[in-house]
Amino acid sequence: MANEVFLKLEGIKKSFGGVHALRGVDLEIRKGEIHCLAGENGCGKSTLIKAISGVHDVDEGKIWIEGEQVEHLHPIDAINRGVQVIYQDFAIFPNLTVAENIALNGEVKDRTKLVSWKRIHQVAEAAMEQVGARMDPDMLLEQLPVAGKQMVAICRAIINDAKLLILDEPTTALTEPEVERLFQVIRSLKDKGIAIMIVNHKLDEIYKIADRLTILRNGSFVSTGLISEYDTQRFTRDLTGHEFESKKYVPENAGEEIFRVEHLTLPGKFEDVSFAINKGDVLGITGLLGSGRGELGEALFGVTPAQSGKIFLNGEEIRIKSIDDALNNRIGYVPEDRLTQGLFMDRSIEDNTVVSSIRNYFHGLKLNESEMEEATNRWIGELSIAAPSPKPPVRTLSGGNAQKVVIAKWLNTEPRLFILNGPTVGVDIGAKAEIHAILRGLAAQGIGIIIISDDLPELFTNCNKIVVMRQGKVGVITDNSVDNIEL
Amino acid sequence: MKKGKRNSMLTSTQMILLYVIIVFCIIVGLRQPAFFSVATVINIARAAIFSACFALCEMIVIISGGIDVSFPAIGCVAMYVPMYLIDKGMGSQSAWFCFGVAILIGLGFGLFNSILIAVLDIPPLIATLATSSIASGGAVTIFGSHDYTSLPEGLQKIYNTNLITYVDPNTGFSYVLNILVLVPIIASIIVAFLLKRTMLGRGLYAIGGAKHAARVAGLNVRGLQFFAYIFSGAFTGLTAMIYTTLMKSARISALMGDEMIIIAACVIGGVRITGGHGTVSGTLLGVLLITLVQNSLNMLGIPTSWQRFVVGIIILLGTILTSWQTKRSLKAEKA
Amino acid sequence: MEKKKYGKQRDDHIVVLIGMIAAVLILMAFLKGKTYYSLSNLRSMIFQFPEFGILAFGMMVCMIAGGIDLSLVGIMNLAGVVAAIMIKNGSPIFLGVLVAVLIGAACGAFNGFLIGFLNIPAMLVTLCGLEVYAGLSLAITGGPAVNALPDSFKSIANGSMGPIPYVLFIFIIVALLVAFVMKYTTFGHEIYFLGSNKVAAKYSGINTLKVTVLTHMFSGILGGISGIVITSHLNSAKSSNGETYTLMSLLIVVLGGVNPDGGRGRVLGVTLAIILLQLISNAFTIMRAPDTMKTFVNGVLLIAALILDVALEKRNRKRM
Repeated sequence: MANEVFLKLEGIKKSFGGVHALRGVDLEIRKGEIHCLAGENGCGKSTLIKAISGVHDVDEGKIWIEGEQVEHLHPIDAINRGVQVIYQDFAIFPNLTVAENIALNGEVKDRTKLVSWKRIHQVAEAAMEQVGARMDPDMLLEQLPVAGKQMVAICRAIINDAKLLILDEPTTALTEPEVERLFQVIRSLKDKGIAIMIVNHKLDEIYKIADRLTILRNGSFVSTGLISEYDTQRFTRDLTGHEFESKKYVPENAGEEIFRVEHLTLPGKFEDVSFAINKGDVLGITGLLGSGRGELGEALFGVTPAQSGKIFLNGEEIRIKSIDDALNNRIGYVPEDRLTQGLFMDRSIEDNTVVSSIRNYFHGLKLNESEMEEATNRWIGELSIAAPSPKPPVRTLSGGNAQKVVIAKWLNTEPRLFILNGPTVGVDIGAKAEIHAILRGLAAQGIGIIIISDDLPELFTNCNKIVVMRQGKVGVITDNSVDNIEL
Repeated sequence: MKKGKRNSMLTSTQMILLYVIIVFCIIVGLRQPAFFSVATVINIARAAIFSACFALCEMIVIISGGIDVSFPAIGCVAMYVPMYLIDKGMGSQSAWFCFGVAILIGLGFGLFNSILIAVLDIPPLIATLATSSIASGGAVTIFGSHDYTSLPEGLQKIYNTNLITYVDPNTGFSYVLNILVLVPIIASIIVAFLLKRTMLGRGLYAIGGAKHAARVAGLNVRGLQFFAYIFSGAFTGLTAMIYTTLMKSARISALMGDEMIIIAACVIGGVRITGGHGTVSGTLLGVLLITLVQNSLNMLGIPTSWQRFVVGIIILLGTILTSWQTKRSLKAEKA
Repeated sequence: MEKKKYGKQRDDHIVVLIGMIAAVLILMAFLKGKTYYSLSNLRSMIFQFPEFGILAFGMMVCMIAGGIDLSLVGIMNLAGVVAAIMIKNGSPIFLGVLVAVLIGAACGAFNGFLIGFLNIPAMLVTLCGLEVYAGLSLAITGGPAVNALPDSFKSIANGSMGPIPYVLFIFIIVALLVAFVMKYTTFGHEIYFLGSNKVAAKYSGINTLKVTVLTHMFSGILGGISGIVITSHLNSAKSSNGETYTLMSLLIVVLGGVNPDGGRGRVLGVTLAIILLQLISNAFTIMRAPDTMKTFVNGVLLIAALILDVALEKRNRKRM
């Protein structure tokens, strides 16, 4: 059974108004295997999922499901043939109970008129048993953590007779034990003969779970094979198209200390965190979700301040109890979610660039518009943001350029310490390299740089000091001479 | 687990509301011992009839993720037009005619609302505000504004049919409870059944909680929105005619301004203004509290001119309390 | 290229408004040219619109910030009632005006605090606020209106300098002030940022609570000013004056191109919408149509404006 092919794609092409999202992708998924689809952001992973689930009709190429060629696949056909996708937002109802969330789709499909709560509970219990999840069926979804919501989404997919379960980046918002738990569930589903495709680009997780791997780059198929055929180097090469970049960042000359934290603690999130940044340093903070890496960044920026511990900036002790404090001490922060936390998508590049430094343009009685425009133009030039003028809305920019606008926003405040949480998430390779170069340049100018990321290769190349967080504590502080760290 | 459940039940919005109602009654009772009497019960029941019906309409709309501020205007038109037609000799005197026309008018405006909101995607608050002025402005322009104070035969018959007649042994006053009190009771049961036990009702919660997810799940989002507004409109028409029957009056501006108090009753009763949450029992408790407050301020010795302010403050406190309660329950469970 | 497109999208709305104003003017020239185009009619129009026009600016500011202020009429009447009582009892007019403005600011700040600090939707807070403020003015007056105010106070909204009513100056000053605040001050820009994306505003270092409170305070102050104008205009203050103005101001801001979800809107558009509505309202008066017909037409216009917006947006999306 393990070798029977469930889904086969050949030469799939899809373009949107001249942009080639998929330029010929082959993929083969067998029954009862865990298949990993990897690729950098913008490589066409999500378009491919939508092609398989029938949301997008492909321009060219052939799709076979269980040996039968299908044309013009519709979402409902895909579901009827057993293809279930669990998107990152799970498409769940926060205001309904666990049982109802699991059973609702089936009830809608069967065109039920009256609701039998007994049946809903039975369906939910059966699904939870099959998946091996245990939850209170009467709990409202909004009261569950992310992992719980994901389990509900998996349960719901299973009762719809899933034969292929596609999970889109399922581990990004999970803590380590939750990831373990998810993998157990996935393995048990595999044992039931269900084919599973996981979109992921974290190699350590792929090693743990996957049987086979397919790599995409720029909308094209690169390679596929058993997981044992890939080592770190081949993986990185196939993923990025570059040989592993060995030019690791080393500061030209270590200078005096810029920033230091001592025994920083926020109960329940992190405790007793101490580290220091010298002039020229780029400090990386990494760790699994729930290790406190993100919380540490938000604490230094005053979003959820630390409760105890000391913070020194340029030798002076400072207090960070609010975002205002952070701003007054000239600390900048690029948040993790660019779209919702970092940018005003409908407003112009100029507005987005000056938002945090707007007070500086208030001279006499009014804002000086030409100065604001000038500053924006300067950053467009310096960071090479691909934009014709400061006026178009940020919505019109690509991910990389939009991220550069967020960086420009903070550079315009002349920060002394610049914290970036996931600075290159959703950014294409070219822009990623440019952003890294910018950060190195800033470090050389004496600005303290902290990069928070779970992208280890990124940290190894760009940070000369790496703080590894484990369960809220500093696990280890190392330089970047290593090639891998146990998280 | 079990214990936690019981605990959260004791501090649920409904229970807190019940405590508040009991405490309030005790306070009023201490000041005016006469408060604890059958007469009070009948008075409150009578006063709550329309509010309860309107609140049920509003609740359904809010659960579906919308809001309706047009029901007072729709209700006014629905009560006025049948009386106008009868007055001009164009309608029959039967109750069927009156209620039928009223329901049809409500249904029509409900349809109009749902087209604006579900098809044209206009924000519900603004759409229903517009409907409100179209309905009341249009109706006065076409039909004028007259006060009808006599009932047609059919309605008069209903008016005379009482469920309970209670004569106070001390004062000799008689208190009557009209048969129409059954309408909100039956409606509550039907709506509760609809919301809890039918796919239609669960669909309303679903679209109010996560519209996109509802679409993905294959629910007919637009159809459900149509149902919410049309049901609300038709039931508003029915309620308006009940108002006319019980008050022996039909005025084109009789209900204007009531939307505030009804929305407040829902919110205090635990209906989340952002959609997806709310129960019939909570809403009815909210109506009960507000009706109690409105009807006992005199007993508490609060002068008439201060009453609107006091009611406003109580609504404000209720709103603050519920929003705090929501936040607390979310936090407590996640931690 | 991009720049042109972006600028153009905003202008569409203004062009449509100017077109509608022209249409009303042309139509009325045919129907009732002589009465409509007379100095006395122009003057009577100018006496009318400032009170609700100023209110509309308050609504605009709140809506741009991503909220709404349904309590404006309540604030207006509360401010009017208190000022009227003070002035009637002999306090100087400027003191009455000052107190009205302070009351507006206090009510607005209260709204803003509940919205920003407790995170209750603006619609709910201001709806409750309306009850509280209207209830308070009812309680203060005890029911009957405060009438017969001194002539000097009456002349604020009824007097004129030569042929030009004072209220026109008041309106122009307020409009310019609001325009200036929105375009040239840090606070104004922060309002736009808050309305565009509240979370991003927070992460950009904007104190969202402070901006929310100040925005509603700003709106409340405009409500207070409007309270002075309407009280002077009617020579009477009570809790239920201008009850149609809530709908009217909503209509104006939406018609004027303010996005109901926040983040977008201009004083120019809102001013044009005020003028348009006054022209239409006056046309009805001249045609001797009943007031209720105005209400009806206002409702229709509100829907038309929103449908128009949706259509314009769609067309623009296509062009991009």
